[in-house]
Amino acid sequence: MKKLKHKFEECKAVAFVTYKEWSAYRTHSLVSVFVGPVYFIVQYFIWTAVYGDAGSLAGLELSETIRYFGASALIGYLTMDFADWNLQMLIRTGKFLTFTLRPMHHRFFALSQKLGHRVLGFFFEFLPCLLIFMLLFKVEILPDRMGWTFVSVALAFLMNFYVNYCLGMTAFFLVKANGIRVVYQLFAQIFSGALIPLNFFPKVLQSVMIFLPFQYTNYIPAMVWTGSESIGVLKLNVPQAVLAQAFATILMFVLSEVLYRCAMKRFTAVGA
Amino acid sequence: MKYIKIYFACVKTAFAQAAAYRADFIMGSFITLLSNILFPLVTILIYANGAEFPGWNMWEVLLIQSIYSMSTGISSMLLSSVVWVTMDHIREGSFETVLLKPVSPLFFIISANFDVQSIGLFLGGVIMMVIAVVHTGIGSVLDILSFLLLFVAGIMVLCGMNLIMAAISFKWVGNSRIPEIFDSISTFGKYPLSIFPRTVQILSVIVIPVAVIGFFPASALLGRVDKEAFLALIPCVLFLCFGVWLYNKMIRLYEGVGG
Repeated sequence: MKKLKHKFEECKAVAFVTYKEWSAYRTHSLVSVFVGPVYFIVQYFIWTAVYGDAGSLAGLELSETIRYFGASALIGYLTMDFADWNLQMLIRTGKFLTFTLRPMHHRFFALSQKLGHRVLGFFFEFLPCLLIFMLLFKVEILPDRMGWTFVSVALAFLMNFYVNYCLGMTAFFLVKANGIRVVYQLFAQIFSGALIPLNFFPKVLQSVMIFLPFQYTNYIPAMVWTGSESIGVLKLNVPQAVLAQAFATILMFVLSEVLYRCAMKRFTAVGA
Repeated sequence: MKYIKIYFACVKTAFAQAAAYRADFIMGSFITLLSNILFPLVTILIYANGAEFPGWNMWEVLLIQSIYSMSTGISSMLLSSVVWVTMDHIREGSFETVLLKPVSPLFFIISANFDVQSIGLFLGGVIMMVIAVVHTGIGSVLDILSFLLLFVAGIMVLCGMNLIMAAISFKWVGNSRIPEIFDSISTFGKYPLSIFPRTVQILSVIVIPVAVIGFFPASALLGRVDKEAFLALIPCVLFLCFGVWLYNKMIRLYEGVGG
């Protein structure tokens, strides 16, 4: 219990410092208050035109698709992450050495940093955009099942972090891992469901995506948010989808631990 | 004449620099190309699911988007680095090195930062356009000439945007997210104008003429453009002039702090 409390205090301290540090750039976050609603309104017009008189497309009704895009954008603000960039920079420059000497696992430190950074995102990106969607665009954006949505977004937050942390760790083996990051981001853009709900993809691709990390960071939480009872190619209900997310997140955590242990054996701290 | 000579000398240097790291250049161009041909994927998936943009078939929409990619490719080659270079100079306080040159600062920064890598984006657009045109067919010679005219106007709009973005960074120091604002606005130019409400249509033709980037040139090529569309050439020229004026005006705000 005492250890847990200590961990919590550590996390709080790092998160608070990160929050203060990034508060200096809060107007940068406010760019989202313009960009988010503009993209949303474009999606609104596109899909209203595309649906026309059609009742549903790829198993989604127009209102569901609109809610999906709203939810997807909002989830992006809560789960955004650049642990990959940060970690590979620390490794390449050798600065990672200072973390191996600290009495705190770097992964926990980075997660706490992300928490602080995203609390800032919550106030300066998520909340203003949520209010714009609700009050200005009059979209019924609030989740139907608040509890499940909260768990799902929290899992997406962790999943995105562990995936990015693993990507960052590739720098232990490749030194400059920028290429891998760019390629991953490219695939993530398509297959996370941020561009278009995955329901629109061919069934074969949707089946392959079950085994890839992308959809657990955006598509599934966005579908849980909309309260859909038929998520993905397996037509999961909300609890099943969240369970699948939890499974994927644990798997990713284990992978990050294995990678970390392998990496520590070969870390030379050159450049520090 | 002096300015033209300087410009071409700089472009030649940019190509020579790219040739020094050929693999990096080819990979970079390829990734730029891949990441920018993503948005047609949405269109393809929409049509694959039996839906459509009213009055437009898939190849016609892809034609709009391919022309959009080509315009972005050319404007990026000419001006996209100006945004980042200006931003960095201001943040680090090293813009003096530009101001001290015996040519116009804007001209110098444009010519010294020709972005060769965006050629991937342009070529991707060309390939997509050829495929789309094979399916849609094109109108008369007059339609092709109208297309070229509107295409150049679209590039002017994008160049104007780049200059405005760079100009804003004199005041809004170090904000790497400024381009996102303009990227989001120009999304309106990637789809048929008819799907948007009247107000948005007017805004995207007259105020920030993003409709001229992809939609109008594609309509011209398909022989569907109204004569009124050519009135949009005026706001395009004005937009570019505004960009140049704003950049030159904002230079005066430079404080030289940070160096």
